Amino acid sequence: MIVERSTAVGRLIHAGRWILYILAAFALNVPILVTVLTSFKTTGQINTSPPVWIFEPTLENYREVLITGNTDFPHFIYNSIVIASGGTLLAMVLGFPAAYAIVRQGVGRKWLLPIIANVRALPLIIYTIPIYLMFQFAGLLDTRFGLILISALVNVPVVLVLFVGAIQELPEELDSAARIDGASTWRLLTDVVLPLSRPILFAVAILSFIASWNEFVFGLILTTKNAVPVTVGATFFVTSYGVKWGVTAAAMTLGIVPPLVLGLFAYPYIGRSMLGGAVKG
Amino acid sequence: MARKVSWERQQRTDARLLLSGLCLFLAIMLGFPTIANLWYSFSDVSFQDLTGSGFVGIENYVDALTNPNMWSALLFSLRFAVVATVLQVVFALVLVFVLHPLVQKRPWLIAPLMLPMMVSPALMGMMYRLILNEFIGPVPVYLDMLGIYVNFLGIENVYATLVGIEVLQWTPFAFLVLLTARQSILPEVEEAAVVDGATGTKLNFLVILPMLLPTLGIVTFIRFIDAFRVFDHIFVLTGGGPGNQTTSISIYIYKLFFKENELGEAIALSVILLLASLLLLQVGLRAVVRRTEP
Repeated sequence: MIVERSTAVGRLIHAGRWILYILAAFALNVPILVTVLTSFKTTGQINTSPPVWIFEPTLENYREVLITGNTDFPHFIYNSIVIASGGTLLAMVLGFPAAYAIVRQGVGRKWLLPIIANVRALPLIIYTIPIYLMFQFAGLLDTRFGLILISALVNVPVVLVLFVGAIQELPEELDSAARIDGASTWRLLTDVVLPLSRPILFAVAILSFIASWNEFVFGLILTTKNAVPVTVGATFFVTSYGVKWGVTAAAMTLGIVPPLVLGLFAYPYIGRSMLGGAVKG
Repeated sequence: MARKVSWERQQRTDARLLLSGLCLFLAIMLGFPTIANLWYSFSDVSFQDLTGSGFVGIENYVDALTNPNMWSALLFSLRFAVVATVLQVVFALVLVFVLHPLVQKRPWLIAPLMLPMMVSPALMGMMYRLILNEFIGPVPVYLDMLGIYVNFLGIENVYATLVGIEVLQWTPFAFLVLLTARQSILPEVEEAAVVDGATGTKLNFLVILPMLLPTLGIVTFIRFIDAFRVFDHIFVLTGGGPGNQTTSISIYIYKLFFKENELGEAIALSVILLLASLLLLQVGLRAVVRRTEP
């Protein structure tokens, strides 16, 4: 890099890198930027052509989405929070002990990991129909609990692969030391492995929460009213009578902010998990 | 010795116990639906009669495979996945090559590029609906000012628009994974190559690119399967239309089931897709794993 910047050509190349960066950052984020801006605009400002970029923001759209409107959007937000948290928790509770058994006790590596990898890769639509019928039979249609089960199912692969990777990296001597001290497998798991895995637990929780929050197909098919998540609820603003874009933009903004904020903490793990998981798993 | 044996037995019992929760869960949520799929696919099933008692042999499969709309949906998904994957991987590689020196010193620069993939694809589709809106969307409005008129969701452009959205949303993923691999290349390796006279483009293509190949394989594979099963943003933007123009295989199954009430056919197609996917996955995974093993 030192070589690069010392010459005129080098400086030009360096400037080129910045230009590409800015172009890419802008092109990728235009929809998010415009949506957030639109959510703070009045109908008049939205219809102004050419679009205004600097304006006096209004909270009217948010008031309509959250308080005065008739779509019950706060309920959708509540649903998404419950479903994403519940599904994440369930996936982790199921995945953590399983990952330990796979890594340290070598059970299930041969058959469980491939099944799990397939779940990650299959077109999920294949399972929507039998699960719809199953849920109808079990009375789970349009319930948050039903979607919690789904969200756990969707997240188990990533959770398991990340946990397997993380536990593989813990020194095995710790286990033997604890064993010699007479710890049972359960104690070993809760008192030794779990505390040491705290950073990865955190990352897994965030990634899984984001994936659950963003899930759409099952939410669309399995809910109608009570358990509708925000991703599906936001589409209710698009009606055959036309779209009130200010209100819709406010609903969309509320639907993207939680994963965006959480994602800023967790993205470094995505790259690492992909490589770690794929190479070792 | 006896103690060791009993200890090992204890270990195995414990392991089974630790795995039992996950296995039970998968049996209910995955095993049962799979069996239900197989059962229903051979029976005369409808919303009125969910027991699926009438055995109809392979009728559902014949219906599924002889429906021309199925083939056009399958073709759409394949084309969509191939084009979107290639574009994402190429863009991501270019970004990695060009931006690596910048982000090496300023890791926070990565964050803004990661935002799109945190957003729900369904909401991303709706946001594009807003920015591509012909009256209030900034993209058509500014293009119009330049004298260019494009109807992004019109019949002639809708395919390109949908591919474009997929590419813009998921290039960040490919970029992030490839960047992680790029950053894990030891500086000594690079320096040695530079000493040998490889700089700039030569360094990137002859030294760095070969080292990224295994990761490239993984990324291509993941992006392809995700693009192949595309549903969310297309459903929100076009609902599979105009006509059946943008009906992916996932949307096709959804429509068969919920709109046309063809349960048996939809389920038979699900089974076919399951088998085909498993087959392709075995081939694909094997290829990827072989490449990543040293």
